Amino acid sequence: MPEIKVTPLGAGQDVGRSCILVSIAGKNVMLDCGMHMGFNDDRRFPDFSYITQNGRLTDFLDCVIISHFHLDHCGALPYFSEMVGYDGPIYMTHPTQAICPILLEDYRKIAVDKKGEANFFTSQMIKDCMKKVVAVHLHQTVQVDDELEIKAYYAGHVLGAAMFQIKVGSESVVYTGDYNMTPDRHLGAAWIDKCRPNLLITESTYATTIRDSKRCRERDFLKKVHETVERGGKVLIPVFALGRAQELCILLETFWERMNLKVPIYFSTGLTEKANHYYKLFITWTNQKIRKTFVQRNMFEFKHIKAFDRAFADNPGPMVVFATPGMLHAGQSLQIFRKWAGNEKNMVIMPGYCVQGTVGHKILSGQRKLEMEGRQVLEVKMQVEYMSFSAHADAKGIMQLVGQAEPESVLLVHGEAKKMEFLRQKIEQEFRVSCYMPANGETVTLPTNPSIPVGISLGLLKREMAQGLLPEAKKPRLLHGTLIMKDSNFRLVSSEQALKELGLAEHQLRFTCRVHLQDTRKEQEMALRVYSHLKSTLKDHCVQHLPDGSVTVESILIQAAAHSEDPGAKVLLVSWTYQDEELGSFLTALLKKGLPQTPS
Amino acid sequence: MDPECSRLLPALCAVLVDPRQAVADDTCLEKLLDWFRTVTEAGSSLLLLQENPCLVDLLSHVLDLKPQDVSPRVLSFSLRLAGTFAAQEDCFEYLQQGKLLLGLFGEAGPLSWAVWSVPTVRSGWIQGLKSLVQHPSGLHFLGDSGAVDALFSLQGDSSLFVASAASQLLVHVLALSMQGKAKGSPSPKGNAWPACAQKIVAHVEASLCSAAVLQVTQALNVLTTTFGRCHSPWTEVLWGQLSPLVAHLLESDPIPAAHSLVDLLLSVARSPVFASADCALWETMARMLSCLSPTQAGPLALGTLKLQHCPQALRSQAFAVLLQPLVCILRATAQAPGPPGLLDETVEGDSMTVDTLLSSKSACVGLLCQTLAHLEELQPLPQCPLPWPQTLLMEAVVIILRLCDGSAAPSSSEGRRLCGALAGCVRVQRAALGFLGMLSQGTSSWELVPQVFAILLETLESPASSPTVLKKAFQATLHWLLDTPKPPGCLGLGPHAPLFLRELFPVLQKRLCSPCWEVRDSALEFLTHLSACWGGEADFREALLASEVPKLTWQLLRDPESYVRASAVTTMGQLSSQGLQAASNSPGHSEVQQGLVGELLHILSVDSEGFPRRAVARVFTEWLRNSHADVARDTEWFVATVLQMVSQDLDWEVRAQGLELVQVFLAQTLGQPNPPCPYAVALPKVTPPSPLPEVLQTLCQMQIFDFAFRALFDCDRPVAQKACDLLLFLRDKTAPCSGLQEPGNSSDVASVEATLERWQAGEQGQPLGSLEPEVVLAALRSMDLEGLQGRLAESSDHVEKSPQSLLQDMLATVAVLEENVADCY
Repeated sequence: MPEIKVTPLGAGQDVGRSCILVSIAGKNVMLDCGMHMGFNDDRRFPDFSYITQNGRLTDFLDCVIISHFHLDHCGALPYFSEMVGYDGPIYMTHPTQAICPILLEDYRKIAVDKKGEANFFTSQMIKDCMKKVVAVHLHQTVQVDDELEIKAYYAGHVLGAAMFQIKVGSESVVYTGDYNMTPDRHLGAAWIDKCRPNLLITESTYATTIRDSKRCRERDFLKKVHETVERGGKVLIPVFALGRAQELCILLETFWERMNLKVPIYFSTGLTEKANHYYKLFITWTNQKIRKTFVQRNMFEFKHIKAFDRAFADNPGPMVVFATPGMLHAGQSLQIFRKWAGNEKNMVIMPGYCVQGTVGHKILSGQRKLEMEGRQVLEVKMQVEYMSFSAHADAKGIMQLVGQAEPESVLLVHGEAKKMEFLRQKIEQEFRVSCYMPANGETVTLPTNPSIPVGISLGLLKREMAQGLLPEAKKPRLLHGTLIMKDSNFRLVSSEQALKELGLAEHQLRFTCRVHLQDTRKEQEMALRVYSHLKSTLKDHCVQHLPDGSVTVESILIQAAAHSEDPGAKVLLVSWTYQDEELGSFLTALLKKGLPQTPS
Repeated sequence: MDPECSRLLPALCAVLVDPRQAVADDTCLEKLLDWFRTVTEAGSSLLLLQENPCLVDLLSHVLDLKPQDVSPRVLSFSLRLAGTFAAQEDCFEYLQQGKLLLGLFGEAGPLSWAVWSVPTVRSGWIQGLKSLVQHPSGLHFLGDSGAVDALFSLQGDSSLFVASAASQLLVHVLALSMQGKAKGSPSPKGNAWPACAQKIVAHVEASLCSAAVLQVTQALNVLTTTFGRCHSPWTEVLWGQLSPLVAHLLESDPIPAAHSLVDLLLSVARSPVFASADCALWETMARMLSCLSPTQAGPLALGTLKLQHCPQALRSQAFAVLLQPLVCILRATAQAPGPPGLLDETVEGDSMTVDTLLSSKSACVGLLCQTLAHLEELQPLPQCPLPWPQTLLMEAVVIILRLCDGSAAPSSSEGRRLCGALAGCVRVQRAALGFLGMLSQGTSSWELVPQVFAILLETLESPASSPTVLKKAFQATLHWLLDTPKPPGCLGLGPHAPLFLRELFPVLQKRLCSPCWEVRDSALEFLTHLSACWGGEADFREALLASEVPKLTWQLLRDPESYVRASAVTTMGQLSSQGLQAASNSPGHSEVQQGLVGELLHILSVDSEGFPRRAVARVFTEWLRNSHADVARDTEWFVATVLQMVSQDLDWEVRAQGLELVQVFLAQTLGQPNPPCPYAVALPKVTPPSPLPEVLQTLCQMQIFDFAFRALFDCDRPVAQKACDLLLFLRDKTAPCSGLQEPGNSSDVASVEATLERWQAGEQGQPLGSLEPEVVLAALRSMDLEGLQGRLAESSDHVEKSPQSLLQDMLATVAVLEENVADCY
């Protein structure tokens, strides 16, 4: 039985490292290869031992697809390709291919900086991994091999994020990755055509949330920043290299311009130029507004945001600084935080998730006395704010996407179990499709009905057409023939041709039936009565009475005989060929009703 | 346990069993468990429970919760925690007294609750049991609690993780039972294994006879892991009991669970317990090799050949299986009848292999890729079969590559079909090139070398070659150029290489201009390796300098792709070291050279990406180390200029590389560092070219101290660590400096120390300015560099990783969980 199998190694009922294995029509595909930032040991990577059991990884997996550049979707890729040993193709969009190594490199530097870790991938490994990447364009159908094809659709979320359709023959799966159904300041909304996949694998981060208006959150953010700098305070915004940082930069840049503010805004680590470069390069991936105004003014060429120098942190007076890393666990952002933490006029705005153990996590959970290296205690007097700007589809958006794609079934990943359960019921009720939510390591198996292409012989087709029945796409019609399976091909031919091709002799198959009739007359007389009855009933057929006393109608033979036990009864022996099965059945039924009474 | 942790623990336990509270981060419970494991490994669990009664309360409370209040995560955690404690026998007894273990792991426990449907709970239950079963009491408990039956059904769990954990636990129980038996002499009679082990063996036996493939697979997997992990003499008894059942599986057609069966046979064969040659095992393996499909037999053949001890006949059979696909390719494509010898031995399974190769494109590609990878793995091993049919393999790989690029035109119908299946197949091309590269080792048939060079050149030249194929082709070419031994009596690069190089450089030129950055980068990496090895060879120099390659490499210093710029920097650094970056007789040689230093300094100061800047810093360090002519001209100016740029760099790896440069410079001026081990052989001391006071004066002028002190307080740990090592070296080297006076002005020293304190506090402030050596040395001596070195070695997150921090975070999170909705990117 053909089937689609899905096993999440990560992102099954959790929001950790995404890694989903899909098996479709004999092809094996890995969707995303993410890392969990909350662990410092091998637990940060998905447990690949479950696939290495199936022999050599490169032989087992047909391809890896990366939906976007966030580390929880691509962070384990160099480990997987350069340390575990996958040597096959990796697909992602062009912007993801460009930005992914920057983030991987950024993370590697922080990991090595902080931990001095040995079992971590190197710069060379990241580069070698990126050399295995095949970049794809939106809506371009890419043949992975003769049977497997993939196609990318726009997903919003971050620059270059894509949903992927994976197709083998008539079977298909769509994987959304992370997506956003509402446009934001620099990106558009996710879109997919009515591709009716067998299965839609969708993220469900905000499965139960109808998100509050984005404008409100933005206003709130700007108000907080403005108030702080107005009273002479400094604002620290820890961010990761690329992604949300750009959204916030556009927001502040526009606000500064409108309010004619002079307070300096800095962006550390030279990433502004890099981001600027990529946003210019991939301008077609941004939203309509940015594309339209690009000719007059590039939104990513910031007038107010300048490159940060380490010495600036000591400057008196207000300023806003974007610094990496985003969880305040090492490097520049932590250094600036330590300097500014003691002043209540200052503020730190955390725009994203922080894992346990990081300073970001501690201050977000309200801790105000932090023990630092060398038993020093850092008292946090500055204000701490959390402001989520992540761009995921909310419950409404997810339902909208399901409606757009019209899948036969849905599978939820990248979310919390309780919230998924709510959404699962909603989807099943509204769309009348099955919805699954496997935990990590659980396999969902979906039976499919693949359409098998069958070639039809010209001879058979001509014979059908000769009967005046032209084939019509919208009116399916019954056609008899012999199906030949040869060389992995299916062909429908006439039985004569099949015999010829296969070198077989024809065998006659006859059906026989006994009809009992109460009649005392002799057998010959009985046969004559049958002949007369059939002759009068079957006007269009050739009914014959043969010299041996038997009656024939086409290939059907009827003989009358005496009943062995009952002298008052006669037996009619009816036999017919396979070709005349319909007529044979009709005649038997007719004779079973008895013969008409002869006038005495 | 730390008193602070003991103080926090009751509150945390209370939070965990409170259904109204949720633990925010799913990693927290994992980390908490890690910590408990460390604590119990270091001391008595019983004492821990007695000193912290809240832990037992936690376990009891979990059992008392109403079904709807049970959190699967906390329950799973509690099960694993209980197992961790019960791993020590006295603690096991303690928990048993309170019937806690039976409550948690018995039939009336979570096993029958609604939350059992959550995989995390099932997984926690198994892992808890696995921790618990470490002693005889644990084994009895497992047998009495009815858990073994549950484990049997969990082997077929819908979750891979749960199923695998269940199998692992069964293996663990078997291994533990056999270890316990190790003292007595093994005998199949009088089997007195623990009841649960007997039950497991009976279940495995029944499963092996089952008609359901899944059950057979589970039984085989349990046995594979058992024989792989446990090498007690009792495993032989176990195998003696089970091997007839395993052999019986071969009677079925098709063989059920063939993949698992292969794994089991290899696992048994690898076990040292069976080293005394088990004839029946070898017979089973031989039968298996002959009746499996070529794709299934491949791993068995490879595994067999990798065995340390194995009958020669079986090795020959295995090798024939491995070679068969390539033999078939040669036969199908050969114009003349196939070569004699090895090929004749392989006729037996020929038709099956041909069928696989011709049945479909994917089967053909799959079998060839697997075969080539297996042979590539086998070739460098000491167990590699002899005689190794080098010529046959080379011919086969060359013809496969020709089938892939379409240049082969076989006349037979099989050959044409192979051609259709392999034409343009990147997967096979990559596998073949990987193996071809490996074949360069141990080649003695010189006549085939031109053929190999020809196909490599064709692949490198072909416009149809994908970037990944080109990368493999470059690697294979490098192997063939560098590893191939020269014929005896041959000087220089050998007879073929010079000719090949003349054809190669035009191709390399083309590839350096490729629109794909991957190709440009692979070409540069190839050139760097080649010139590092052959830079001194006249033929190589001539061919390189006659081409446009050095010029193109120079141009790639301005490539839009940072990876390529970085590789170009490395290549140019390499070429320049060998005097290869331009025609040596060109009049403008020195200008070109000066231009290169300038160009690299330009990259170091302005490139927006870290890779090229890091590459430049590395090249400069190498140049300094090898006394490159341009560096030697004015070393002090060079080092000072580089440091000035590097100190401003935002990439800590560039700054760290700058410290490396200083280290090399100091070693050259002050001598090598003292060997850290008193028994190490002391290197002859380099006498500084100038007296120490002068050297120190120079170092001060070059602002090396300013750079090193600033780096000491760098926000990135590796930089600070390196700077600390460097300053310690300087302090040691200058300690016996008799030529220096005590600093005349103590206020200078105080001012330096004040500046350093400000830097340590994170302020950037003013530079140290021009300093007197005496002042610097006094400041250096007053610092606790050893203390700092120790702190830096601890890594900056030892505080965050502490259990105290974890407990505080978990408690603090509860309060604010509702405010910050879980978010991710």
